[in-house]
Amino acid sequence: MATNKGRTSSFSRNFSAAPTSSIPGLKYGPNGTIFLSSGVPDLDKILGGGFHLGSLVMIMEDTEAPHHMLLLRNFMSQGLVHNQPILYASPSTNPRAFLGTLPTMLVSKDDRSRNTDAEQKDLRIAWQYKKYLGENKPHIEERDGKVEYCNEFDLRKPIEKHLIMGNRVECISLLDCSSLAGFRNSCSKFLSQLPRYDGNITSAGRIAIQSLCAPQCEYFDKEWDMLSFIRSLKSMVRSSNAVAFLTFPASLVSPSVSKRWQHLADTLLSVKAIPDEDKELANLLTGYQDMLGLLSVHKVARFNTQVPVILDATTYSIKLQKRRSLVLECLNQAPVDGSSGSSYGTSGSCSGSSKTGTLDF
Amino acid sequence: MADAICRVLRDGALEGEHATSLTINDSVDSPFGPIVFDYIFTQLSSYISSGKSQSRGVVLVAFSRSPSFIVELLKSRGIDITTTHEWLRILDCYTDPLGWKERLKERGAIKTPSTEASLIVNLCKDVRNLDDLFSLIIALGKGLVGEGKNRFSVAIDSVSEMLRHTSLSSVASLLSNIRSHAQISSVFWLHHCDLHDMKTAAAFEYMSSMVANVKPLSTATNVLRENSENLSLLEQNYKRGQFHASLKRRNGRVRIMVLPSFSLNMYTCTHHTQAHIQCSISAKKCEEFSIEQSLIKFTSLSAGKNETAQSLVPKVSFRHYRIYPFMSFFYVQHNSGYMFWQVQFNLQLSDKERSDRAKVVLPFEHQETGKSVQIYDGRRSVTEGKHVSSIEKLQKQEDPGRGEIIYFRDSDDEMPDSDEDPDDDLDI
Amino acid sequence: MDRPASFLDEALSLDDGDSNNLQPWIGRVVLVEDCVETNGAFVLHHLIKRFLSPNLSSSDSIVIFVAFAQPFSHYDRILLPLGDRQGEGVPSKEAKRDIGDMDWRDLVTGLELAWVGGLGFAELGCNLVVQRENKRLIFFDMLMLECPDDGVEDGIIALYGNIQKAVEAVSSLNKNITIMIDDISLLEVAANGSTKDVLDFMHYCHTLTTQFACTIITVIHEDIYSSADHFTLPLQMEHLADIKIKAEPLVTGLAADVHGQLTILNKGSSDGLGRWKSKIRNFHYRVKENSVEYFYPGGRT
Repeated sequence: MATNKGRTSSFSRNFSAAPTSSIPGLKYGPNGTIFLSSGVPDLDKILGGGFHLGSLVMIMEDTEAPHHMLLLRNFMSQGLVHNQPILYASPSTNPRAFLGTLPTMLVSKDDRSRNTDAEQKDLRIAWQYKKYLGENKPHIEERDGKVEYCNEFDLRKPIEKHLIMGNRVECISLLDCSSLAGFRNSCSKFLSQLPRYDGNITSAGRIAIQSLCAPQCEYFDKEWDMLSFIRSLKSMVRSSNAVAFLTFPASLVSPSVSKRWQHLADTLLSVKAIPDEDKELANLLTGYQDMLGLLSVHKVARFNTQVPVILDATTYSIKLQKRRSLVLECLNQAPVDGSSGSSYGTSGSCSGSSKTGTLDF
Repeated sequence: MADAICRVLRDGALEGEHATSLTINDSVDSPFGPIVFDYIFTQLSSYISSGKSQSRGVVLVAFSRSPSFIVELLKSRGIDITTTHEWLRILDCYTDPLGWKERLKERGAIKTPSTEASLIVNLCKDVRNLDDLFSLIIALGKGLVGEGKNRFSVAIDSVSEMLRHTSLSSVASLLSNIRSHAQISSVFWLHHCDLHDMKTAAAFEYMSSMVANVKPLSTATNVLRENSENLSLLEQNYKRGQFHASLKRRNGRVRIMVLPSFSLNMYTCTHHTQAHIQCSISAKKCEEFSIEQSLIKFTSLSAGKNETAQSLVPKVSFRHYRIYPFMSFFYVQHNSGYMFWQVQFNLQLSDKERSDRAKVVLPFEHQETGKSVQIYDGRRSVTEGKHVSSIEKLQKQEDPGRGEIIYFRDSDDEMPDSDEDPDDDLDI
Repeated sequence: MDRPASFLDEALSLDDGDSNNLQPWIGRVVLVEDCVETNGAFVLHHLIKRFLSPNLSSSDSIVIFVAFAQPFSHYDRILLPLGDRQGEGVPSKEAKRDIGDMDWRDLVTGLELAWVGGLGFAELGCNLVVQRENKRLIFFDMLMLECPDDGVEDGIIALYGNIQKAVEAVSSLNKNITIMIDDISLLEVAANGSTKDVLDFMHYCHTLTTQFACTIITVIHEDIYSSADHFTLPLQMEHLADIKIKAEPLVTGLAADVHGQLTILNKGSSDGLGRWKSKIRNFHYRVKENSVEYFYPGGRT
C-alpha cells in the first residue's frame, strides 16, 4: 500500500490561470486516494491529509453555537482559492449573500514574492506543528511540513470579489426545494460537469450544504427522503471528483435517523460550544480563555482500506490565531473521551449555558 | 410437560367446544420456539399417523420453513414419509408468500423451480388474503378427512410472519375461525413474542387454551444485548432454557407447569452408546444433520421436585412460582421409580447399541442389584463421594472420545422442604 | 496466534473438520452487527476472502455480492492486500504467484461482466482483468438503487429476481453459493424506510437457502435501532440468523492497538461427531491492512 507516498503534487499557487495539468489543491493519499484540503491546515493534519476526494463529510452542529460555519467558510474559501467549482446550499432565502462572508486567504494582497511567503508559511506551520510531532500516529504522514496545498484564512477579512466572480459558484436555497429531488438533480448536474476521473485528475469540486435538516425546510418531516438524498449524494460524490461537506443539527432528527446519518458519513466531525466563564473548565483546560469551542473527530474516511483510523486524541479545541486564523489544538487535559458509544450520539451534551467567544461570525 | 401438551392436543376438542389451541412463545434470548414447535408437531404427527388421536390429519401452514425442511424433519424423527399423503397436507406460505416469484417467472426473469414430490404441498402465493388462506386450510383439511364428523389439526409455524403481512385483528380472526370450525380438533402456532407488543401476545394467549413459553434461564433482561461480558451466562441460554406451560382446564382452573430447565445437549446416536442418555429436553434441527438414526426425547425432570404443577384460580401469573434455576437431569429408562415422561422416536437400536446401553450405570438409587446407591434423597447427600464415583464409573465405561455426560444433581438445587407429590400432575 | 484468523474461523466453525469443508455453512444465515464506532465490514472482507480463496475452498464456492455501501473499487482495493496476506500465511502454489496474479479482480469474470452489463447495473468502477477460469464473484452495484413506495416492483423485487437469476445460473455447477448483502440498513433507506419490504426481501433471499443451499451473510448497523420502536428489524434478522457476529467498542473505549471486540453467537452446528453444539465467543481485534489480529481480552502483548 501507500504507493503514492512520494507523489505529492507539485502545486503552484496560480490564481489567474485556469487549472492546469498540475493538480491544484489536491494531493495523493494512501491506497490510491486523493486528498483535498479542508481549508483548515490543522484539520488536514488531523485527518491525515485532508478530505478524501469522493467522500461525504458530515459535521454535527451544536445548535447553540455556529462553529460549523467556521469550518464551512474555510472549506468554501479554500475551494475558491484553488479555483474549484462550488455548489453551496443553505436554508436561507439568499444563499449567495453568504459568499460575502467567506474569509480571505492569509496572504497579503500585494505583490510580495509568493516564494518568500510560502517559505514563511512553511516555517510558521512547521513550527506550529512541532507540538504534534510524536503525538500523531504514523498513519498521519509527515510531509516535511509541506502543506502548500492548504491555506490559512483570515476570518476578519472577506474574500476578494474576483475569486467569487471568477469561479463557478452555484448557490441554492434549500427553502426553494419543496422536495429534495430537485436539489438532488442540481447536485447531480453539478457533479456531472466536473471532469471525470480517468487516472488523471484535472480538477475537483466542492459541495457545501449548510444545515440540511433545518426545520424551516419543507422536507423537514420527511426523514426518509433526507436519508435517501444523503445516500444518493454519497454515491454520486463517490464516483466523482468532489467532496460533499454537509452540516446538520443532529438534535433535530430522531436519534435513530441521526445514527443513520452518522453511518452514512465517510468523515464525521462534531463541534461543540464550550460554556463561557466556566471556572472549572478554565482550571481544567489550559488555554481555556482562547478557546472558541471544541471539535471532535468521530470517524475518518477509510477508502480502499479496512483499517480504522484511531486518533490518539479525538477532541480538539478550536482557537483563533492572532484573532485571525483558525487553529485546532489538542486539549492538554484529555477530555472525557466518549468512545464508549453513546457519547456523541447527541450533540450539545456539554452545553449548559453557553455564549461563546467574542468573535462575530 | 411438553408431552402433557401433546396429549391434550391429541385428545382434541369436545363436541360443541372450540378446538384445543396452543400458543408457543419464544424470543431471541432463547430462540428455541421452532424446535419446540417441531417437537410438538412431530409428536402429534406420530399420534395421528398411528390413529391414536382425535384428529385424522394435520394441515401444516408453513411460513418460516420450507416443505423440504418438513420432509427432513419427519424423516429424522422416524416418521414414514410414504404415508404422509394420508394424514398430512402442507400449505406452503414460505416459498412465495407475496407472489414475487410468480411475477418474475411470468416476466421470464427467473426459471420455474423444481417442485418436490415427496409431500403434498400446496403453494400459497398471497398470504395477505387471509380469507383465501382460511378457505385453503379448510379445503386441505377436508381433503384429508372428508366432510362429516372427522376432525383434523392445524399447525401454523409462525404467526409472527403472518403479522408482517396483515393486521393483528385479521390474524386473530383467522385463528378464531379455525378454532370454531366444527371439523378442527386442535390448532397450535408459534409466536416470537419479542417482535410484537404486549397486546399481540395477550391476544394470542386469549385465543389459546394452552400457552407454552420458552424462556432463557437467566431472567436478567436482555442479556444478549447488554452484557457481552457475561459469556458463560449467554452460553447457558443457548444450551438451556426454561419451559413454562399453562393449561386452561374446562373446569375453569388453570394448570401451570414450570420446567425450570431444559437443555439442548443434543446427541445423535448412530454409534454413540450414550445416545439414549438425554438431558431433559433434547431437540434437533434436522437440516444440520444427515445422520438418519437419531433419538429425540423430551423428558421432564422428576416431577414434584422440579415441576410445579398446581391448580390455581385463573389470572395467577407464573411469577408466583418458584423457579429453580439451572437444573437438568437425565434418564435412560423409567426404572427408577421416579415420575417422568419420556418419548422416543426411532428406537431401533442395534445389538451393539443395546449392549452398550445395558452397560451404562445410571445415577439412580436402585440399580436393581439389591444395593442402594444413595444418589437421590432430596437432600444434600452425605454420600456425595459415592455419587461421584458412580458417575466416574459411568464415564469410564464410555468411550472417552465419543461424548460426555453432563450431569447436574437436581437435589443440589432443591429446597429441603419440597415435598409435593411427585405424581401430582400426572394426567392419567 | 499462529493463524491470525483462527479465532474467527473457529468461532464460525469454519475450521471444523478439514479446512476445505464449508459444510457447516450451507444454508445458513449470518448476521454481522456493527455500530458507528466499530465498523464490522472487515468481517465481511474476511469472509469474502475465505470463500473466494483459491486454496481453501477448492474453487467450489461462488459469491454473489450485493453492495449498497461501497463501490466495487473499494472492496477490490481492500481484498488485494488480504489476498496477498493469505498467500503469505497459507503456503500453497498460489503463494508463489505474484501480486498481480493474486489480484482479486481476476476472480471477476466475463460471467460477471455479462451479468452486470446485461442487467443494466452501474459499471464496476475499475478496470477488470478478466480471466475466464475464475467465475466466482457476481457483483451487484446497488449504490443508486431507489425503490420508493410504489416502486417495489422494479426495485426490490427486481433485485431479488436478479439475485435468483444469478443463483440459478450457477446452481448447476454444484458449488456453494454465498449471498452477501452490505448492508441491510442501507437497503432499508433504499426502500424508503419500509422495514416490511426489507423483511420480505430477506424472506425471499432465505428461500434461496433452502432451495439452492445458499449461505446468506448480511450486515446491519445495530445502533440505529437502539430505541424501542425501531427495534423490529434487527430482532427479525436475529430470528432469521443462525450466526450473529457483533462488533462493538470496548467498554473502556478504543485504542490504537485494540479496535474493538467481537462477540459471536453461533446458535448451533454439528461437530464432527454429529453433536449439537452452540458456540459463543468473545475476543478483541485489531484491523490491519492485510489481516485482522484477534486476541483474548488482555491477551495482547
